[in-house]
Amino acid sequence: MTDTYITHATWAPGGHQIDLCLAPAAESLDTIVLIEGIPLPNIKKACPSGAMEIPEHAHVIDASGKLLMPALYDLHTHIEMPGRSKRECIIRAGEAAIRGGVWGMLVLPSPAFRFDNGASLDSFRETASVRSAAEMTPAGCISLGMQGLEQAPYNTLAATRGVHVLSDGDDFPADILMLYRAMQYAGELELVFAVRADVPALTKHTYVHPSATAYKLGLHPCPPCAEEIGTETLIRLAEATGAHLHLQLVSTAESVRIIRHAKERGVKVTAEVALQHLLFTHEKIGDYNTVFKTVPPLRDKADCEALLEGVKDGTIDCIVSAHTPCTPFSKKQDFITAPVGMTGLDTFLPALYTHLVEPGLLTWWDLVRACCLNPEGIACPRDQEEGVPSTAPLLLFDPQVSHVVTEESLVCGALNTPFLGQELHGAVTLPLR
Amino acid sequence: MKPRKDLITIESLSDEDIHTILDSAVAMKEIFTKSVKKVPALKGKSVLTLFYEPSTRTRSSFEVAAHRLSADVTTFTLSTSSVVKGESVHDTIDTLMSMKMDYIIVRHKNSGIPAVIARHCNASVINAGDGAHAHPSQAFLDAFTIREKYGEIAGRRVVIVGDILHSRVARSTSLILRRLGAQVAFMGPGSLVPPGEHTGVARLHTWEEVFTWAPDVIYLLRVQNERIESPFFPAADYHQTFGVTEERLRRIEAQGMSIMHPGPVNRGVELCDAAMEYEHCLVCNQVENGIAARMSILYHLTPGTLSHD
Amino acid sequence: MPTLNSTDISTALEQWADVIAARADAESLGLVGLISHGDVLARRLIAALEKRQVQARYGALDITLYRDDLDLRKERPALRSSYLPFSTDGMHLILVDDVLQSGRTARAALETIFEYGRPARVELHCLVDRKHRELPIQADYAAFTLESAEKVRVHLQENDGEDAVIY
Repeated sequence: MTDTYITHATWAPGGHQIDLCLAPAAESLDTIVLIEGIPLPNIKKACPSGAMEIPEHAHVIDASGKLLMPALYDLHTHIEMPGRSKRECIIRAGEAAIRGGVWGMLVLPSPAFRFDNGASLDSFRETASVRSAAEMTPAGCISLGMQGLEQAPYNTLAATRGVHVLSDGDDFPADILMLYRAMQYAGELELVFAVRADVPALTKHTYVHPSATAYKLGLHPCPPCAEEIGTETLIRLAEATGAHLHLQLVSTAESVRIIRHAKERGVKVTAEVALQHLLFTHEKIGDYNTVFKTVPPLRDKADCEALLEGVKDGTIDCIVSAHTPCTPFSKKQDFITAPVGMTGLDTFLPALYTHLVEPGLLTWWDLVRACCLNPEGIACPRDQEEGVPSTAPLLLFDPQVSHVVTEESLVCGALNTPFLGQELHGAVTLPLR
Repeated sequence: MKPRKDLITIESLSDEDIHTILDSAVAMKEIFTKSVKKVPALKGKSVLTLFYEPSTRTRSSFEVAAHRLSADVTTFTLSTSSVVKGESVHDTIDTLMSMKMDYIIVRHKNSGIPAVIARHCNASVINAGDGAHAHPSQAFLDAFTIREKYGEIAGRRVVIVGDILHSRVARSTSLILRRLGAQVAFMGPGSLVPPGEHTGVARLHTWEEVFTWAPDVIYLLRVQNERIESPFFPAADYHQTFGVTEERLRRIEAQGMSIMHPGPVNRGVELCDAAMEYEHCLVCNQVENGIAARMSILYHLTPGTLSHD
Repeated sequence: MPTLNSTDISTALEQWADVIAARADAESLGLVGLISHGDVLARRLIAALEKRQVQARYGALDITLYRDDLDLRKERPALRSSYLPFSTDGMHLILVDDVLQSGRTARAALETIFEYGRPARVELHCLVDRKHRELPIQADYAAFTLESAEKVRVHLQENDGEDAVIY
């Protein structure tokens, strides 16, 4: 088997040109090259452009003008689509992920994917390993049936099924005592509690951020303080129990400040923001556009700015797609009846590039940190010893190419993307071989 | 007026549309003086009233309006069962459209439903109230009533008192009055009046401020405790703090202000008994004008079921 | 374009008033103009009749809601208020219109007027009769007959700033 060489690629996190030699898949885990502190598998050699000796008949990919970077890891995906078989959900989400530059994702539990027992995890892993083009890691349930009342068998999930992250989807556990005890118990198992901060009593039957949009459309407002109180509460629980808390879908400026202070105090807390909350505000809802119905709701410009600042200074560890496919019919219903969420996998890297990196709001290094290294580190923790590599493959990104997002270009099986009909920049090549 | 299929919000109308509908409403009201209170304008047209929320007043007002235009009216009673079974609005409308309806008058507790129905069928859809979103026919009858009373709306001051947060009436009526040049203010408990930067309407806090502002019309909203799951304010306080008490009625009389209310009135909550007898209490005018305004709306819409090709 | 000027029109109105005065049962005469030119003509005729010591009640009808072509139009015309402040029961009514052509407006007017009561007698008068009837309706009086005209436009001082019939 001949080695594959990539030449004149721009290493995205550093901006300089490199050549490298990819290792055949079989050798991948043994051959590591460190590029700027990022341990990577699959690489035999890497050096500044032009310094590589390339054998005559080698397979060479000329990557001039293209960016080379680790593929993305998405820490927040829902893959279930009502009315579709589990197998189809897995296939479509896997294909969509690869399109969007995502090699691996954390799949959150949902009614069809109830990861509160060994059997459903086994069957999911089996189907995913055969059918999915991307790596799928299931997040175990915090509570049985995600009811928020009774703990799931954490030891079974963790020890025998390799679960690292626990989550009840996007729901805040109904019983806080259950959560407190779960964090005491499972914190010792090094499990991560991924929870969306909320006070359900304050957000019941609410749909939009308190704003002119809420008034104009006559939709009940969802007070930001619900998330902020929830954030405080969860951080106190993490502090008290020592468990690793991962705050999902942070959406308000005040939440960012609360997390920043907690991190300064040394609380074991990480946080994520969905791309939608960095890019969009409630005005996008316009005249009841259900694509922009999300939980938490889209907020104000000041919140978007604070969240972006949080990503840049490391308060927010990860940017996630919050991929949630909905059937076209369900999103055609009225705003109150329609389900929440947007899809994000198909377009993830091009959207990040077009709306954050290209306009200069984030650097490539910020992006690699928030979309590759941090999320993978939370979902698939490695031993902290030096040199144990990420399992992320590399991808090539051609920023010169643009394409318009059309119904045909989406493979995730749903159309509820905010980018439909819009031009996004950049084309992803993944996998490289 | 440019051909338009539906009436969902006041916002969607041009100033010209608003004036045309109001002007025609005057002509419609004149029909009530004839010995035959009916015109053949919508002869042979089918009007369906589809109310997912109980309402006797608005529904009968629309029905009388349709009858006076000679349309055939069908009342669709939604047995709670089909709603409980979770039939989507789309499927209900498909069923109804096979009955060849030209106009659908819809009320629903969810904001935004009429727009969904309007997109889905070619009948003219008239929003008879959706959640806390809009109630355009109420806005027209209110504007009509004020214009009838004062001749001109521009320059008039109207204060809307009560639960602004949950009120589609407050939204639509304040909008049409502002479009017609009136000054509008809101007054009510803090938990029920969204901030001015969201509404674009100034808030008055007390009756003292209302009397100082000297509005021409005091518009009281119904306290809709049936629609509020958990209370936004202590109900026992309401009449004393925000209602028209006998003492306030005397001041209203002294300043010659008019009183309006979309009905049905909770006596002893929004209004004291004596206020209903007050000479400038326009509640009954509103009801009569409601029929004329709704006739004008029905008349000016062009259902997609009429072919012009 | 041939035109009837204001002198032609006012002469015609005088003759017209003479005809009405001769026929009228003064006790219960009503002139009902069809909006938006017939009502102006009706007012002028009433003034002319007054000079002849003939009293007539004034009314105006907007017949839009009775038109038979509402569904054929893309948009519905704006409505004007009809004005009929008296009972029509037992009255001698004269419907006054500017141009009589197809007869459809007159048909709608007849339908309209009967919904206000039961007049003893109804006549149809017009300023210009263009013939080309589509319905079995004839004018009882026409000030001018312009059978060959392609198109007739009536301008009246009160509405259009001048008196003229252009055809």
